[in-house]
Amino acid sequence: MSANDNDIAIVAFAQTPSYAHFNNSEPEMIMPLVNDVIGQTGLDRHDIDFTIAGSCDYLSGLPFAFVMNIDAVGAWPPVYESHVEMDGAFAMFEGFVRLKCGDIDTALVSGSGKSSPGSPRIFTALQSDPYVMAPLGVDHVSLGAIQARMLLEAGTVTEEELGAIAVRCREAGAKNPYAQITDALSLEDYLAQPLYNAPLRQADIAPTSDGAAALILARGKKAYDLCDNPVWIRAVDHRMESHHPGLRDLTTSVSTRTAAGKVGLHDGPVDIAELNTLFTHEEVILCEALGLGDGTKINPSGGPLVGNPTMAVGLTRVIEVARAIQNGEARRGVAHCSSGSALQQNLLVVLEGDK
Amino acid sequence: MTETHAIDYTMEFPYTRTVGPVFGPFLTGLRDGKIVGNRVNGRVLVPPMEFDPDTGKPVELDFVEVGPGGTVVGWTWVSDPSPKHPFQHPFALALITLDGADTAMVHAVDAGSIDAMSTGMRVEPQYHEDRHGAVTDVHFVPEGTATTVAIVPGEEPVMITEHSIALRIQEELHDHRRRFVEGLLAGRIIGQKSPVDGKVYVPGRGYDNMNRTLLTEADEVEVADRGTVVAFTQITPVQYHGQKETEPYIRCSVLLDGADQPVLGIDIRDITMADFRIGMRMQMVWKPEGQRDASDIDNRYASIPEGCYETWKPTGEPDVDPDSLKEHSW
Repeated sequence: MSANDNDIAIVAFAQTPSYAHFNNSEPEMIMPLVNDVIGQTGLDRHDIDFTIAGSCDYLSGLPFAFVMNIDAVGAWPPVYESHVEMDGAFAMFEGFVRLKCGDIDTALVSGSGKSSPGSPRIFTALQSDPYVMAPLGVDHVSLGAIQARMLLEAGTVTEEELGAIAVRCREAGAKNPYAQITDALSLEDYLAQPLYNAPLRQADIAPTSDGAAALILARGKKAYDLCDNPVWIRAVDHRMESHHPGLRDLTTSVSTRTAAGKVGLHDGPVDIAELNTLFTHEEVILCEALGLGDGTKINPSGGPLVGNPTMAVGLTRVIEVARAIQNGEARRGVAHCSSGSALQQNLLVVLEGDK
Repeated sequence: MTETHAIDYTMEFPYTRTVGPVFGPFLTGLRDGKIVGNRVNGRVLVPPMEFDPDTGKPVELDFVEVGPGGTVVGWTWVSDPSPKHPFQHPFALALITLDGADTAMVHAVDAGSIDAMSTGMRVEPQYHEDRHGAVTDVHFVPEGTATTVAIVPGEEPVMITEHSIALRIQEELHDHRRRFVEGLLAGRIIGQKSPVDGKVYVPGRGYDNMNRTLLTEADEVEVADRGTVVAFTQITPVQYHGQKETEPYIRCSVLLDGADQPVLGIDIRDITMADFRIGMRMQMVWKPEGQRDASDIDNRYASIPEGCYETWKPTGEPDVDPDSLKEHSW
């Protein structure tokens, strides 16, 4: 038992598969997950003190989609509820901070998105600077590709090493029941792929996905009332850099390195890291910035390269680490979520089990 | 039938933004054929910044012209451009450090071929004939290949920049919505009945939000094509771009017999406000089969599309007591 009164734990979690296309509404993705996590804890819906979601109306092109999503979480009679227009991992951060206030004990967190009806390359362009970038359609794939070229030309990584990351994630994804991309990929297959956004190949780029994830947080001893094996959130930190790529060194991630220091990442062993790698080369940057070595399993789920439900993909990283800890495959690990293009914003969550 | 169920629409929004004291001179410069950065804390930033990137503090206004030539410090070859990109043929998006600048800006290089691109290559601006004070007034080309454009500087500084954003959405009707449409075309109004509390939702949404239960085809029931007015208002059309209405009309909600949720957004054009009442009984008059059109329905909030009926007419039955309809007055 390692619960101080104000420690916060994950006591239940659930995720949908990563769908290439989910031909029903976003609430229909979320609702079964909410029922699942509530069922895991035995809580009555209205015993949950705080509800928070992360989603983005731009994705499905449905104004106030986030309000429709409240249909899925059970909000009548009215509940204490909040929303962030960001990945569910950032919603979890708000839930974590809210619980740290100490006056409530439980929070329901969800993240969801349907990218398939729209075009991720268009909406990521629209979230860039509206004066000097958005009118040019500067999209996340192109900025990622510029970043990848800088790494390749600096000699930090080779094409074969990027290919090896793609191959390893694909192999891991074949064992992940939630994965969307499960076709085998060899290094020869990778190198034979035509360049898409040169120097990136399609196999370097996370797919377009629909999906959702949900979890319940509990504070202090309440966690043991709800779960035999809670996973404790030891620290969270979120840092961001300029959204003007010309003001950043794209070959490294200052914000990730800063966040790693703030969460005390290396105060203990890091058995597992689930990283929000939307491109193969981001794994190289993140592992360097996080100081991860051979002792850490990187994206054993296959990561976003095998399933990338925008607005749930970061929360899914948290869930994958929590699952590995509950399964006894790890005792302590880190989940990472990014936002913006080319790793502009980075969130780290250090998770730890009792055993 | 597949054609009927494909949804393809584009949401557009024209943004007009004031440019402020820093982007204003930058965009004015582009209109007038020059590239302007600003000096901040010993560095020349291009594009100029309204704040010091190191400290976040507001900057002194200290502009400096840079370029016209520049050096590519990073690039990608966009082989499959998005509709939002400045070219619909393959081109490069690059980080370009203009001569005299300390930071790189993102812009497009129309190089013709990936083989013409390299890190360290020299580029120069190609100004467009049509310039409006926007970042899209210019693109870059390999140095020595720009064609001369006669530029007469404008008289007034650029105060506004316009940017039309658009998102195209393509999807199929959700399964339950497709069955609702197929029902209408066959002359049936289909709702979804919650197995938990028996309430009937029209059109269904695939779930009962009150009881957090998914609803499926097995939960679908037919409801009547007649019902009771539970809410209404008069709409006096405001003439905006795209408005098709010219005359005042009534928009009402009708609780169909057998349903627990009213159908919203039913428009009545042949009854006057003075004759319209909460509690009034109404009958939907279908268009003949084959002439019904439900093509304007999508996956958002849905009503019964006007293309499915000729009109709604009073049944002549006694009114329902409005007090009994309070739960449905929306």
